[in-house]
Amino acid sequence: MRSRFLCSVLVFASSLGSPAWAQSAAGQSSTKNGDVPENPSAMTKVPTGVILVKGAWSSASDSSTPVPEGGSVTDNVFTNTYFGITYPLPKNWTEKYKGPPPSDSGSYVLAQIQPSDDYKGPSRGNILITAQDLFFTSLPTTNAVDLTAYEKENLQSDYKLEPSPVAGKIAGRPFTSFAYWSPAAELHWYVLATEIRCHAVEFILTSRDTKLLGSFVEDMNKMQLPAEASPDKGEGGGAFPVCIKDYANEENLIARVDPILTDHRYTSVPVRIIIDKNGKVKHIHFLSAYPDQTKVITDALAEWKFKPYLKDGQPVEVETGILFGRPQIAPAPRKGQKPSVE
Amino acid sequence: MIKPAKITSVLVVVLSLAGITFAQKKDPPGAVDPGVQTASRGTGATIIVTDPNGYLSFFENGLARFQEVETVSKSANVGLGPRFNSNQCSSCHAFPAVGGTGAAVNPQFEFVSDGVAPDSTTPSFITANGPTREARFPFFFNSNGTVNTSAPNGGVEDLFTVSGRPDAGTCKLAQPPFAHALATNNVIFRIPTPTFGLGLVENLDDSTLLKNQQSNLKNNFGIAGTFNHNGNDGTISRFGWKAQNKSLQLFAGEAYNVEMGITNEIFNNERPLPEEDQLGTGLPANCLNLGGIGYPEDETNPLSSPNAAVLDDVSAFANFMRFLAPPKPGSVVLNGTTVPAATIAAGKALFSAIGCATCHNPTPGTTQASDFDPELSNQPVNAFSDIEIHHMGTGLADNVSQGGAGGEQFRTAPLWGLGQRIFLLHDGRTTNLITAIQAHASSGSEANTVISNFNSLTAAEQQEVLDFLRSL
Repeated sequence: MRSRFLCSVLVFASSLGSPAWAQSAAGQSSTKNGDVPENPSAMTKVPTGVILVKGAWSSASDSSTPVPEGGSVTDNVFTNTYFGITYPLPKNWTEKYKGPPPSDSGSYVLAQIQPSDDYKGPSRGNILITAQDLFFTSLPTTNAVDLTAYEKENLQSDYKLEPSPVAGKIAGRPFTSFAYWSPAAELHWYVLATEIRCHAVEFILTSRDTKLLGSFVEDMNKMQLPAEASPDKGEGGGAFPVCIKDYANEENLIARVDPILTDHRYTSVPVRIIIDKNGKVKHIHFLSAYPDQTKVITDALAEWKFKPYLKDGQPVEVETGILFGRPQIAPAPRKGQKPSVE
Repeated sequence: MIKPAKITSVLVVVLSLAGITFAQKKDPPGAVDPGVQTASRGTGATIIVTDPNGYLSFFENGLARFQEVETVSKSANVGLGPRFNSNQCSSCHAFPAVGGTGAAVNPQFEFVSDGVAPDSTTPSFITANGPTREARFPFFFNSNGTVNTSAPNGGVEDLFTVSGRPDAGTCKLAQPPFAHALATNNVIFRIPTPTFGLGLVENLDDSTLLKNQQSNLKNNFGIAGTFNHNGNDGTISRFGWKAQNKSLQLFAGEAYNVEMGITNEIFNNERPLPEEDQLGTGLPANCLNLGGIGYPEDETNPLSSPNAAVLDDVSAFANFMRFLAPPKPGSVVLNGTTVPAATIAAGKALFSAIGCATCHNPTPGTTQASDFDPELSNQPVNAFSDIEIHHMGTGLADNVSQGGAGGEQFRTAPLWGLGQRIFLLHDGRTTNLITAIQAHASSGSEANTVISNFNSLTAAEQQEVLDFLRSL
């Protein structure tokens, strides 16, 4: 700032009025600073513990079609209709907090299970149930087997691998698994993964007490999983739509209108759609989108028309993913793999 | 006479007692927050060593300007107000050295009595020994005083006005309705972010941050952050509690305008309150151009010398912050005894193992080549932050959106210098490190599993983590 010691103060006779609710300027009113007239209706409070102003968030075109993040714990049972999972929780363990919304890279926290306030056991720990949408991951993985292999190969130096806790099936379905532990924290992690609807679904069990973790694994046999659950081929079907990566391509699209995203958010907008037997988009699930993006994309997808997908000669519903907005980083090849050539 | 805000050196003395007292009073049984550490961590020094480009004088000039007390008119430093949160950068960015965060004694508490804001009323949330704060109303009020939750506001509601100052002419302004905002739960707070080491953060290339994000993408803690982006060029923004500001220049320009009411070459116009702007009323005519110099009130000084004096204040502030050295880790004293280095190391290992370092990444990357100064080139940035924004749940949500960040998303707060921070979290709600850690857990937070892991540790191990954190 330049040195200016004295400048004339311009005084204008008029001043604009303050809003009626604003505290008055000194000397202009008898209303005390910071007060407004007593009015019960004016005292409505902003609710605490509620997120009213959201950034990019998940949403869906209808509320009746299940979505991955729609699971809940009721009567000590975790139920996720989208994935067809019913998982009775260990006694006195509970979901204290809901997880965050899905990320723009397709990462979900389905449930975080912790000891309840009534838990008296000697060991603490947690059960984290996650899902990774395999359509949107920028990791070099195409199924749950790949994902766990990637995790093992890229384990941080804080941890050391230990023998896998699982041999054979869980709840009648095959799982892939691995385990590691932290010498510093003396915590053990059991990671048990399968694939459902083109998502790698992981049960991540953590505790110092391997006996407790073993009991968690044993309890998981009480789960109900869909018939398709398999670590390398959970590709929908049955009661679910068939899930196919990159199905929305030129070969399958008859009509397409590109959404014009007008606000420069510089974000990726991952979208899962379900295409009905007639080739129209019947359901849209936004993993992470701002409201303006949601509207524009919804309007555009209403115009899309696909060739019906045939299975055994019959049209079936298809679930696929489309990434709007900013492209994602291309996955780096896994160790020992050559980069793919486009 | 208008007094300058409190001087940092005084605050250091006060704090050496106050910080420890806070910790001892409020710590739960078990682990104990060692409290604010008093031994120097090198804060306040410059990162410049060799200075081949002559920036040292710019740093020193910026440091001097950072401490200047601004007035409305009739001085060498005019332009304050008509609304403001403070009259001096270093009054808020005060501790443990100029450029830091809020001190133990809040200078804002005395602004009414010492003539900085004589006709204002000190809001009840500004206390003598509480955090130095700014306030925001998440939502606009309706004309009848009810909260309109469908009308997000989120802008800064300056705490004070120049009304009644002898250098403010006839300008009379009402303060925002803070008491009503408190009664309706429609006010949130922010404390100053420390600025040490920010030249390094500024010089991290986007590709470095993206690579770090990619390397942490698969974790078993339920964490998946994203970046806030600059609306102009789409690159990663990184400064402020929600990473809403792209550069130190922008950071300084916004603060000068918003916190002190001083227009400048980046933010050229006098800033009304958000509601005054919304209603189109703006500021009264007799509260405009109070400095009598026209706008902007801070600009380049072409005829000045030496070179550093040519710069506008905002550029000088940016240079000051850019060349501030990052805090150095140091020893920790707990209950009068120095914590062994092995304990600090054990705490660091635990911090990483239980997942804290997934977001609070010790070194998210190395800087690119700098044309400013070699000490900013190819340097590891030991900020303990991934610079990403994360969902932090209902417990920390403030319902304020900034850039791409929503109401519960916050940038991973860099932890370098944590050993000498008094007030913690974005709003300074606690002085207790344990409370701050536990506040990371709530519905919708990415940190829930990590906090669960922390709670699985023994009290002795938690103590190691706390000791490590206070070593930063």
